[in-house]
Amino acid sequence: MDFDYLKQKRILLVDDEQELLDMVCSILSEDGFQKIATAKTMKEAVALSSAYHPELAILDVMLPDGNGFDLMEQLKRTSDYPVLFLTARGEDEDKFRGFGLGADDYMVKPFLPKELLFRVNAILRRSYKGENPLVRLSGCEIDFERAEVIKNEERLPLTAKEHDILTCLYRNAGRIVTIDALCEAAWGDNPYGYENSLMAHVRRIREKIETNPSRPVSLITMKGLGYKLIVEGR
Amino acid sequence: MKSVPRLIRRFIGILLLSFLLLAALNITLLFLYTRSQLPNSYPWKTAEEVAGQLSQDENGYHLSEKMTRELEDFDVWAILIDNDTMQVAWQTNDLPESVPMSYSISDIAGLTRGYIDGYPTFTGEIENGLVVLGYPKDGFWKHMWPSWDYKLIADLPKTVLSILVINVTLVFLIYVVANSKLLRSVKPIVNGIQALPSEDAVYVPERGLLCELAASINKTSEILQHQKRQLCKKENARANWIAGVSHDIRTPLSMVMGYAGQLREDAGLNDAQRQKAAVIVKQSERMRNLINDLNLTSKLEYNMQPIRSRTINLVALVRQVVVDFLNLDVDGRHPIEWETSENLTACPVNADENLLKRAVGNLIQNCINHNGQGCTIHVGVTKDEDKCTVSVIDDGLGATDEQIKRLNNAPHYMDCDETTAEQRHGLGLLLVRQIAAAHGGTVTIGHGIRGGFSVTFTLPMADG
Repeated sequence: MDFDYLKQKRILLVDDEQELLDMVCSILSEDGFQKIATAKTMKEAVALSSAYHPELAILDVMLPDGNGFDLMEQLKRTSDYPVLFLTARGEDEDKFRGFGLGADDYMVKPFLPKELLFRVNAILRRSYKGENPLVRLSGCEIDFERAEVIKNEERLPLTAKEHDILTCLYRNAGRIVTIDALCEAAWGDNPYGYENSLMAHVRRIREKIETNPSRPVSLITMKGLGYKLIVEGR
Repeated sequence: MKSVPRLIRRFIGILLLSFLLLAALNITLLFLYTRSQLPNSYPWKTAEEVAGQLSQDENGYHLSEKMTRELEDFDVWAILIDNDTMQVAWQTNDLPESVPMSYSISDIAGLTRGYIDGYPTFTGEIENGLVVLGYPKDGFWKHMWPSWDYKLIADLPKTVLSILVINVTLVFLIYVVANSKLLRSVKPIVNGIQALPSEDAVYVPERGLLCELAASINKTSEILQHQKRQLCKKENARANWIAGVSHDIRTPLSMVMGYAGQLREDAGLNDAQRQKAAVIVKQSERMRNLINDLNLTSKLEYNMQPIRSRTINLVALVRQVVVDFLNLDVDGRHPIEWETSENLTACPVNADENLLKRAVGNLIQNCINHNGQGCTIHVGVTKDEDKCTVSVIDDGLGATDEQIKRLNNAPHYMDCDETTAEQRHGLGLLLVRQIAAAHGGTVTIGHGIRGGFSVTFTLPMADG
């Protein structure tokens, strides 16, 4: 399975409510995650961080002995792993503060298990993509590290733009990514007027990854909205 | 400040009027007073009467009994000076001793103009002499030099007029000087009162004639500011209370939603059980949306939500919201059709990205909430000359004309302090309206062309 290596990641879960910890644990373990450690206070979390070497932290903002933002600062001082915030405070300021300090994502309670899993998987995929160079699609495999598509024993190189577009789609595998987000991924912050170029790139990507480029099964068009990448094993 | 010049004009008018009235009154009083006085010419006439009634015979001169009595009544003495001898030729019995008995011509001239020994004297002519009446010393005052400069008399009207003008000017000057001080102190008071209706704090320096008024204005302003602060505090408390409650609900709701979500996907359960879990998920999602809306709507209501506007592409934003819904739509009962022209790739508006996403998201959520049986939602963006419009139209149950009229006009229960049955419920559309208003846009609710519900959200286009 392509994502098995991600399921082996050590996850640190910090929240002051035992029931919430139990629930998140159950959601994660049901999805296949096996290495989960939980902490209820900042102190416990800091101790666990140095002993357990987590590869992803899911932090609550409100903790009995401090707030999650301070905790993240402390954790990041000693090691560098991605952080996802879970909070009951939906205020924008918190959001900006969280991202300003280097949080990787942010979720406001309450949330569906699906949303949580999507974000956890997306963060892990983004942060540890180098560890699993091969992504299996229906008709080929993609080696993101070497920017190559392996189809029928043949290695087809990806251009820089094709690589950018595919990376963005892969991070959101199974979900629609808007035209605008893809243009931004490929052409940067002011991505207006690249829609036609994007279509051309998508056509060339399909020629490389699809068995039958005129009937795509891996890179699906959502008319007017964007594209979706279907990854095997999802 | 228009009232102040009007006030000054009125004051001057009143002043001039009272000036004229006073002059008229004085003249009238003088006239009435002098009329009651004895005429000045009457002793002269009496003297002439005496002269006329003085008769001469061989024994000398005689005055009639009646005239004699009359003179005695008034305590008047009389003498007759003979023309030839310049001696007193006749006299009344009560002649004071100090009156001389012989006169020179210069004496005559003197007594005609003035007095004999302090007695005011009046003369009357007879054929060969001069009758002189002497009145009591305090009876008359005689003007010794009854002559005037001719020019003075000739110029009298002019002189009187110019004196009058000088008087009026003087009074006016006194008024202006006295009042300019008053006006100087009135001006800040007037400014202060005019500034009171604006909600800012007002301070008028408490000095000058009207310092008490200034103090009252300052006090009033202080009270207004205090009330404003109190109101603000109350509103903050309310918004904070709502924020607190919604925060406290989020954690328990996470548990409900999380476990129900797991059960919904649990392959070990049968369809009916999973269906029940799906209902719990759906209802907890509704509660989540309600909490989010309640929190934001109360913040917008009390201006506690910062609007972080920047130029954003409305097409991209709406597209992202649609995709977010599609990525989350589990049962596929609410497909969304993207109906935006392919040529329209950018539609710049100045807006807060998160708020706008909430607004469009609420419109789509609204279609889903009201069409449990499923419906297709058509979302589109159009660009006109100076505005961008997002339309969200479904082919679901729709609403009656009456309901739509009420949605467009009736107040929401959040905005309304009356408890009438006519109020609207549901925060979704209220929030959309608030967000539109915060961005200078409008919301129109109507019938969809496919029989369902239609909402259009229009924003002014950003420059450039």
